[in-house]
Amino acid sequence: MMDDSEIRQRFAQLRESDRESAPGFAQTYARARSRQRWPAAHRPRLLVISAAAAVVIAGVWLVNARSSSRSTHTPAIATIAAWRAPTDVLLRTPGSELLGAMPALGASVLDQMISTPSNRGI
Amino acid sequence: MDDVELRLQLERVHADCFGWAMACCGRDRDDAEEVLQTVYLSVLDGRARFDARSSFRTWLFGVIRRTAASERRKAWLRGLLVEREAEGGTRDARSFATDAFVAPDAEVEHESRRDGLHHALTRLSPRQREVLQLVFYHDLTVEEAAAVMRVSVGSARTHYARGKANLAVMLGDAKDL
Repeated sequence: MMDDSEIRQRFAQLRESDRESAPGFAQTYARARSRQRWPAAHRPRLLVISAAAAVVIAGVWLVNARSSSRSTHTPAIATIAAWRAPTDVLLRTPGSELLGAMPALGASVLDQMISTPSNRGI
Repeated sequence: MDDVELRLQLERVHADCFGWAMACCGRDRDDAEEVLQTVYLSVLDGRARFDARSSFRTWLFGVIRRTAASERRKAWLRGLLVEREAEGGTRDARSFATDAFVAPDAEVEHESRRDGLHHALTRLSPRQREVLQLVFYHDLTVEEAAAVMRVSVGSARTHYARGKANLAVMLGDAKDL
């Protein structure tokens, strides 16, 4: 069985051989630096830029979403407003013009009953 | 700690760190270099920050150990995705490169002793291997080794004692042959 000093000696040999084959510090450091995408000094600026970009994108998306929802609702509203029931014609009674129109002062209601080109809509 | 001071500190312990990275990567030189670069990158980026609770070297050893473990996990996941045949081809190429190298006579004995130690270390448990490497190779105290390994001092002492006894028997047996 080995004692501590012999074990230590074996490890020392291993250490020596590793040191001989170790890559230079400058080389390893330079490689690490080249892998560094954004240096630490630029990081706050990057955060601000990316936050601003996110806000702009969200704003554009909101505006687009609103305008598209408006454009899809407007024709539907117009269609509903223009719709007339097919049975509306049954509600028209003789003399309904007299009930629907405001009589002029000093004029006779009978004048409206007389068919003229103007009240016939010509 | 500013960039210049950080660089100086890293340069001072670089060779030692490479040795520890080798130990953490199963003595694979390429993996050790990769791990060391990743560690330096973490330090430069500020992802790994020295808090002065231990010595700089002890702290950096801890970072190397964790990075190597993380790289091992990534490699394992990659291995699941890569076809076995392709992996076999790479291994063949590596072993061919090793076989092609002919060492001079004087180095043969030195290499066999080194390989004997490496072989014996691989037969120990990971914790025993780590504590022995830190104490005998890097001259850390058992307390410092415990800090690097993130275990209690008592646990590190137990691993140290058992590991040393096992290693002594294995190296003694190999010597007797």
